[in-house]
Amino acid sequence: MSVPAVPGWPGVAASAALVALAALLAGRARLGLAADMLVASARALGQLVAVAAVLAAVFAHGGLPGSLAWIAVMVLIAGRVAARRARGLPRAPAVATLAVAMATVVTVATLVVFAVIDTRPHVLIPVSGMVVSGAMQATALTLTRLHEEVETARPRIEARLSLGLDAAAAFAPHARTALRTAMLPAVDATKVVGLISLPGAMTGLILAGVEPLIAIRYQIVVMYMLLAAATLAAVATARLARTALFDDAHRLHELPAPPDGRSSPR
Amino acid sequence: MSQAGFVLEGVGLRRGGAPVLTDISAHLPRGCCTLVTGPSGAGKSSLLRLLNRLAEPDTGRILLDGRPLSGHDPLLLRRRVALVAQHTALLTDSVAGELAVGRPALDAVCAADLLERVGLGACFLSRSTEGLSGGQVQRLGLARALATGPEVLLLDEPTSALDDTATGLVDDLLAAFVTDGGTAVLVSHRTAHARRLAGHALVLEAGRLTEAGDPARLRYLAAP
Repeated sequence: MSVPAVPGWPGVAASAALVALAALLAGRARLGLAADMLVASARALGQLVAVAAVLAAVFAHGGLPGSLAWIAVMVLIAGRVAARRARGLPRAPAVATLAVAMATVVTVATLVVFAVIDTRPHVLIPVSGMVVSGAMQATALTLTRLHEEVETARPRIEARLSLGLDAAAAFAPHARTALRTAMLPAVDATKVVGLISLPGAMTGLILAGVEPLIAIRYQIVVMYMLLAAATLAAVATARLARTALFDDAHRLHELPAPPDGRSSPR
Repeated sequence: MSQAGFVLEGVGLRRGGAPVLTDISAHLPRGCCTLVTGPSGAGKSSLLRLLNRLAEPDTGRILLDGRPLSGHDPLLLRRRVALVAQHTALLTDSVAGELAVGRPALDAVCAADLLERVGLGACFLSRSTEGLSGGQVQRLGLARALATGPEVLLLDEPTSALDDTATGLVDDLLAAFVTDGGTAVLVSHRTAHARRLAGHALVLEAGRLTEAGDPARLRYLAAP
């Protein structure tokens, strides 16, 4: 008996047995998570059905304008999510949204211009989704690290300013530290791809019956574009954050005190 | 009529909604060492930060030689008006590197001379900043600020980590700096030695200016 590559709805329903098993285990171990797991599973089902319905409509009728609108919504959501990590940074939502947008536009436009992908919605939207997601992670990491750097390194930044250095020069060593940390995950993921994990795009193609030697072509493109997107997003974040952190007189803004009541050094 | 030096007109500064400095009006004359003293938390360090535009007053204004500070280019101003923080934040891993932060073209002769002036000696020029004592770091911070050739030195407790010998040396350096036409603003608790150096003094208490004038006549400095 052959099983189809993509399960039917009865198959999906049967896979809910795994959720039941997980909930049962969690319930017996008194983790207090069983209800959460059931709600989360139901929610995932609902969200995916809704997204699939909208995607189907965009694929069928949206064309390029529909795709671009969808990508814009993803960028806006990604910007808000990435900015959450660094609420204390001035204008964090604007910085994060702009950085994700720039990384997405440059990366996707390059792929389209070089005819690596075409602009049909069922190609453009999933590829852009991966780019936005990669850019969001790099942006969130960069913002978090920049925030920590500014909080801990304020005396060093102000010492450089006091010696007549401009904001860019005074901030550069700290921006470098933040950028390195933020970009390492993307570099590491590129190094171990295929060795430790079989990434999503390749897995999807193999499941759909595509030869592995062909499936990796997509994956190679995906890894390269994610590396570029992460780098672009991180660099754009650091650059935009600098303009938000310093004023025209090359002064480092006071950050609002963190909620645990630690005060910045006077 | 413009007055040489710093003039503060009704200067107020708030941080996180709380007042740090309130309605300060004062004159810090050019070519003179002005002592700024008062209890901890009185806003003395914040006052220094206003003078080289690391912070901006929320109310009032500050003039330097008759011109509002906001009209001075901040990068040029900070080279003219050097701030030496109480705790020197090291920026590189070598003594020579520290001296070059504000003046990358500094040659070895000038660097050695700066180290001699703060009592560290030219032999420190080849040293790493690792393993320097608190007092040595503090003097390196002073030398680093002098490297940019400032006209004004803003010093925040510059001898807090120094023994008496080193303190005397820094006092002599400051006295010579002022004699040569430099202006100094010295935040200090050590009022005895500060009184020797200062030609003018301001007393801050809870963010307000409570006394100003000749250090020998101030009530705060006379108190035991």
